[in-house]
Amino acid sequence: MDFSLSQEQEMFREYVRKYLTDMEQMKVARDYIDNKIEQVKTVLSELHELGCTQLNIPEQYDGMGLGKLDLVPIMEEMGRALVPGLHLETSAFAVPIIEQFGTTEQKVMYLPQIASGEASFTIAWLEPGRSYKQQGIQVKATLINETVVINGVKTQVPDVELAQYLVVPVLINDEVTVVIVDKSTSGITLRDQKGFDETRKLTEVTFDNVEIPVHQIIGPIGDGWGIIQEGLLSYNAALSSVAVGAMEHIVEMASEYAKIREQFGNPIGRFQAIKHRLADMKLDLETARSLSYYANWALETASEDRIEAICSARIFATQSFIRLSAQNIQIHGGIGFTEEIDCHLFVKRARFYENYLGSIEQYYEQAIESLNWEVSEKSIEKETILSTQ
Amino acid sequence: MDFSYTAQEEQFRMELRSWLEANLPEGWVEGTFEMPEEQAAYGQFLRDWQKQLSDGRWAAIAWPEKYGGRNATLMEEIIYHQEMVRVKAPPLVNYVGLHMVGPTLIQSGTPEQQEKYIPKILSGEEVWCQGYSEPNAGSDLAAVQTTAVKDGDKWIINGQKIWTSFAHFGDRCFLVARTSKGEKKHHGLTCFLLNMNQPGVEVRPIIQMDGEHDFNEVYLTDAIAYDSEVIGHVDDGWRVTISLLMHERTGIGAQVFSLEQQFSELVGLAQTVTEDDVPLIQNGDVRKRMLDLYIKSRGSLLNYYRNLTKQLKVGHPGVEGSMDKLFVSEVTKELFSEAISLQGQQGLLWKDDAIYGKSYWQRNYLYSFGQTIGGGTSEIQKNTIGERILGLPKDVGR
Repeated sequence: MDFSLSQEQEMFREYVRKYLTDMEQMKVARDYIDNKIEQVKTVLSELHELGCTQLNIPEQYDGMGLGKLDLVPIMEEMGRALVPGLHLETSAFAVPIIEQFGTTEQKVMYLPQIASGEASFTIAWLEPGRSYKQQGIQVKATLINETVVINGVKTQVPDVELAQYLVVPVLINDEVTVVIVDKSTSGITLRDQKGFDETRKLTEVTFDNVEIPVHQIIGPIGDGWGIIQEGLLSYNAALSSVAVGAMEHIVEMASEYAKIREQFGNPIGRFQAIKHRLADMKLDLETARSLSYYANWALETASEDRIEAICSARIFATQSFIRLSAQNIQIHGGIGFTEEIDCHLFVKRARFYENYLGSIEQYYEQAIESLNWEVSEKSIEKETILSTQ
Repeated sequence: MDFSYTAQEEQFRMELRSWLEANLPEGWVEGTFEMPEEQAAYGQFLRDWQKQLSDGRWAAIAWPEKYGGRNATLMEEIIYHQEMVRVKAPPLVNYVGLHMVGPTLIQSGTPEQQEKYIPKILSGEEVWCQGYSEPNAGSDLAAVQTTAVKDGDKWIINGQKIWTSFAHFGDRCFLVARTSKGEKKHHGLTCFLLNMNQPGVEVRPIIQMDGEHDFNEVYLTDAIAYDSEVIGHVDDGWRVTISLLMHERTGIGAQVFSLEQQFSELVGLAQTVTEDDVPLIQNGDVRKRMLDLYIKSRGSLLNYYRNLTKQLKVGHPGVEGSMDKLFVSEVTKELFSEAISLQGQQGLLWKDDAIYGKSYWQRNYLYSFGQTIGGGTSEIQKNTIGERILGLPKDVGR
């Protein structure tokens, strides 16, 4: 029995944390809000220098060839500092689907670019007034000889400014198909949207007869939905880690504040109203961490219970992130309500993730379906590694 | 990360499993689980079960072999809990003796005390109870008012204890009494190995809200303890008291594993209960609430495994045990509350009239109110988490 990250993984965390601490943690997020894009790009390229972008890319494509679990400490540290950018979309969504479903040419084309820090991927999925469900994908693409022609609008696409490529689910012959589109392809117009999490910038992307070569389709035509589902498993396992990192920051800042802020002649942390709230927050944090570690382990080992493990981690982590970020403001009192203190940034980021790439309800349904309660007591009998059977 | 068990651990599990198959009380392997209703017969049933365990050297596996244990590793203790939960083994009547008093005697008792008490603890011949709590000293453990006054080679003890589990079967009590008044309330305490079978000791039952009788009040009126029944040093009882509470290495492990099993049973209930012929598990709201409980019970188990890993590495239990205790007891309470809700109006039927599981759910629901109180209330656990994990200043008054 060893339910912990390895020494190497913890060491990697220390490098990343030290770097981000030297960068004053939240400063890079604030730079992004202030549109200091060059400063942000510098930090992102230095994170690449530390190994953050090539870690889970196979060695033959210039990566380190490490596993999903090795991403955990990096994602936690990214969440801790609310680092802007597309590390989740790129490392935890694009890389796994290219690796699993891409052709050799596609791997040679994209993976070394990601490993070298040159390319990031964003996901252009949501459409105006539609959902992240399968029927929400309506943008059509037509196949003419060796060319795919895309027409339609995608909305709330994050951080296009920092991306070179877009992963775009479209309909070809009414079937969901995933294509990779270079942002600079002609026919693409971008319109900035305002979002309240300013650490993630949102853009409406319009495709007007955008032509891409057919070899930019990932996997067979019509297999897109299954490919997206696989990508989402990696994405959500990693997202749970990001949320854990952010929550860890929240618990620390709230506890530190409760030790120094005095009222009625005592540090407020002495009062049980505050102390118990903080204890609840700590319990939420550690539970989210346990669930996310297990989710990433289940993903890496392709364990039979991986779907419910990952959905559970995502649901608990995103919901407790929202809860904790709100508690944090309450503990800080008036100052917590201001723009000056970081509290609000966590609330906004938590809300960003809540329904991003799938609603909470969808993840509930997915987990429940996977547990198969209706059919029989399969969940009881199913041999998982953790069962006491 | 590695969730596998070593070959040696698997072998231990198989050895225990086959012993249980051969030795569990009648009805257990078949899954009927009948225990006598009447108190004295129930007590005898539990003593017999412990004797059986002790004969197989399965009563106190963590103890050194010299004292009748197996020198079990922490992981073997975990496996032991898992297996006992799996077969829903009857409770250990001498839980206090096996998990608290025995290890304390092994650590701090005189050779005479060890020889006199340990074999009988193991066999269940002498059942122990724990005399800590008092009417005004629940969570505030050191606020003990029961007094022991020296009289020659004897101590005269007066006072009242409460919440004394199994005192009605008890032969001996690990009693904390005040032997002198110091400046600090945890100074001047002494621990006694009190004989319960004497005129100065009166046990009065406390009937719980679930109709069961686990706890008692114990009235001490000029009860007598001898010098040979002092454990550790006079006035040094606080240290002994704390060390006794620390002896349980695997903490609330058994509860965590039970919770996992209870959740599976709850799924079974939701599949069984129908409303106008439709099983409740098909109701979207029910499923959502079930998933919330699934996530929490999973979280509780995984938190426990993570803390256990840490304990395996550092060699002793950590303060994180407070988080496990808080979470598992709160989630257990939620789970049984949900079980009552699921049954709708039928959930109000009791005992023979209960529709599902002979009021298993109703009994456990009522019992679960005690779980966030006993062994340190949820509020005390939160203070511990706040102060010892997050480093917040101590609560007022302490």
